Amino acid sequence: MTRRFIVEPRGLATWWLKLLIPVAAVIAALVIGAVFLSITGNAWLEVYKKMADTAFGSGRGFAETLVSATPLILTGVAAAIAFKMLVWNIGGEGQLIFGAITAAGVGVWLADGTPALIAVILVVAAGAVGGAFWASLSALPRVYLGTNEIITTLMLNFIALHLMQYLVYGSYSPWRDPEATQFPQGRPILDGGRIPEFFHRLDWGIFIAAAVAIFAWFVIAKTRSGFEYRIVGDSFDTARYAGIRVPRKVLGTFLASGASAGLAGSILVAGILGKMDPRSLDLGLGFTGIIVAALARLNPVAIIPVAVLMGALNNAGPSLQSIGVPSAVVMILQGAILIFAVGGEFLILNRIRRPERHVAEVKAAAEGSAA
Amino acid sequence: MNDSVLILTMVAAMGLGTPIVYATVGEILTERSGILNLGVQGMMMIGAVMGFWATFETGSLWLGVVAAMIAGALLSVIHAFNSVTLRVSQIVSGLALTIFGTGAARFIGRAGAEPLIGMPSREVFKPVLSGGLADIPVVGPLVFGHDALIYLSWVVVAAASYYLFRTRHGLTLRAVGEDPASAEAAGIKVSLVRYLHVMIGGALAGLGGAYFSLVLVPSWQDKPIGQAGWIAVALVILASWRPWRALWVAYLFGAAGRISFTFQTLEVNVPSDILAMLPYVLAIVAMLLLASGKRARLLGAPAALGVPYSREER
Repeated sequence: MTRRFIVEPRGLATWWLKLLIPVAAVIAALVIGAVFLSITGNAWLEVYKKMADTAFGSGRGFAETLVSATPLILTGVAAAIAFKMLVWNIGGEGQLIFGAITAAGVGVWLADGTPALIAVILVVAAGAVGGAFWASLSALPRVYLGTNEIITTLMLNFIALHLMQYLVYGSYSPWRDPEATQFPQGRPILDGGRIPEFFHRLDWGIFIAAAVAIFAWFVIAKTRSGFEYRIVGDSFDTARYAGIRVPRKVLGTFLASGASAGLAGSILVAGILGKMDPRSLDLGLGFTGIIVAALARLNPVAIIPVAVLMGALNNAGPSLQSIGVPSAVVMILQGAILIFAVGGEFLILNRIRRPERHVAEVKAAAEGSAA
Repeated sequence: MNDSVLILTMVAAMGLGTPIVYATVGEILTERSGILNLGVQGMMMIGAVMGFWATFETGSLWLGVVAAMIAGALLSVIHAFNSVTLRVSQIVSGLALTIFGTGAARFIGRAGAEPLIGMPSREVFKPVLSGGLADIPVVGPLVFGHDALIYLSWVVVAAASYYLFRTRHGLTLRAVGEDPASAEAAGIKVSLVRYLHVMIGGALAGLGGAYFSLVLVPSWQDKPIGQAGWIAVALVILASWRPWRALWVAYLFGAAGRISFTFQTLEVNVPSDILAMLPYVLAIVAMLLLASGKRARLLGAPAALGVPYSREER
């Protein structure tokens, strides 16, 4: 049987290919977006210019982009470290929300006189603990009972969402502002618990997020524990054979993943929001984190620039309504980026070549043996 | 008798459960071929908007249904290409489909000079066989007086079950999902079978989506289908990959979705947000009890589910 192409697994892909594929994925997604825009009678170039201008055109615009990028770095890290170990935590959404619930809970519970530094640390850390706890509801059954974590993390997203809405809209819980009589909203956390802003609405949270990403990279690339983690990610069997306690590794990774997503929630609460605001915490940041992780090819450091790109899209979206373009075009772009990024993995894992050389070799060998 | 709370709840549960029946049966057929498609939510969204749009433009409900099925199937081809031809992560590809489909549906609903958003549907599926039959105690309202798409869903369930377990093609499908290498050796075109069943799953999900925009809430909104697509993905496991069981669990989840209204009628005071968690809690508890570890395999999970298959690597 002759075939036009031979597809074979590639050993190690070159660095430029690993860079080229994600860039190509973004460009291809922009083309898809342009098609949608053109069909519906919009000048696609104008739309893209408007988006670029909103996201990068001014200092304040760029600050706003970084504000949007901050939680995405953390949900991106959450997805990346889990996916690399084939732990399919798609519950970043719920872990972020539960992290926000615990952070806001600590933030309204702390006495007003608490020293600012201690208050900030407690509020932010509470989010990580909350996120890890919410992840444990899926992680423990996965590790000890073998329950599929895809479904449990997913369902826990919606449970967390309704829990948050109940605490603010459906009850007179401590999370609800007793002074907001017109329309229910979250109760502001203590002033000392807020992360300080340093430019426009941008606060120090972005450095916490970037530090978490770099820390994750360091642990994975440079420590013994990270080495074991990589072995488990490559093959459970190899890891078991090497004496690594796989269940513990999986559990630890799953909880760390949840903590990172929970941190995204607490940094939002302690940062720009200042309270648990259900609408601002229900924007699909957990799912967008999965796009960030995939486009960064699960590399924690690459997540930082990719999160800025996704933050730019999220930041630019609402501004499009002023020129009559639905902001959902951003979701089309993000979905298409993910489709192309995951498809592009094929080209990184495999190489395609013409079979001539191979056929010629076989022929030559056959003739050689005949002679 | 026929307007007792129980009967009314059961009838409403059938309505709410019907889009989930379609999507779940579709995903069962997809997963039986060994492909996991987490894009159900996206395919339902695109089906919901295209079905609504086609009916809005043509005034024909059945053209709407056909458009929804075509839209769902076309979207699913992307997933089939990624997971069958390129053999990349089915989980990430499915999520991508959901994000893309949801974005596209919302965009289509809001774009253009006269956007669909907020528009009521031009036509709505009306109850058939209502007449006197629906007045028979208990059985009447449960069996008669539904809209055509509910009856069609029963036909689809019966046909899917017959196809899976009583036909040669169904056996082929199951073989591909269990052991693609052996199936290929027996002369079955594994890739073709997988492409086809991913697309059938997409078409049925699209149809389920259209049930929202043409029957349940006959208008266009940004979030017309709730989380029905995700529920369907979970129900495949609880239905243990069998179409008839999908019908019953989908109705059960329809009832769970209806329960806040029922409680109101009975003057039981439970906060609506807490009740809204019920279907998801139910899904998790059922997963823990029924589908943990080796038991998932005993339930009937296709052995090759989610595993990329390459002819060369055997």
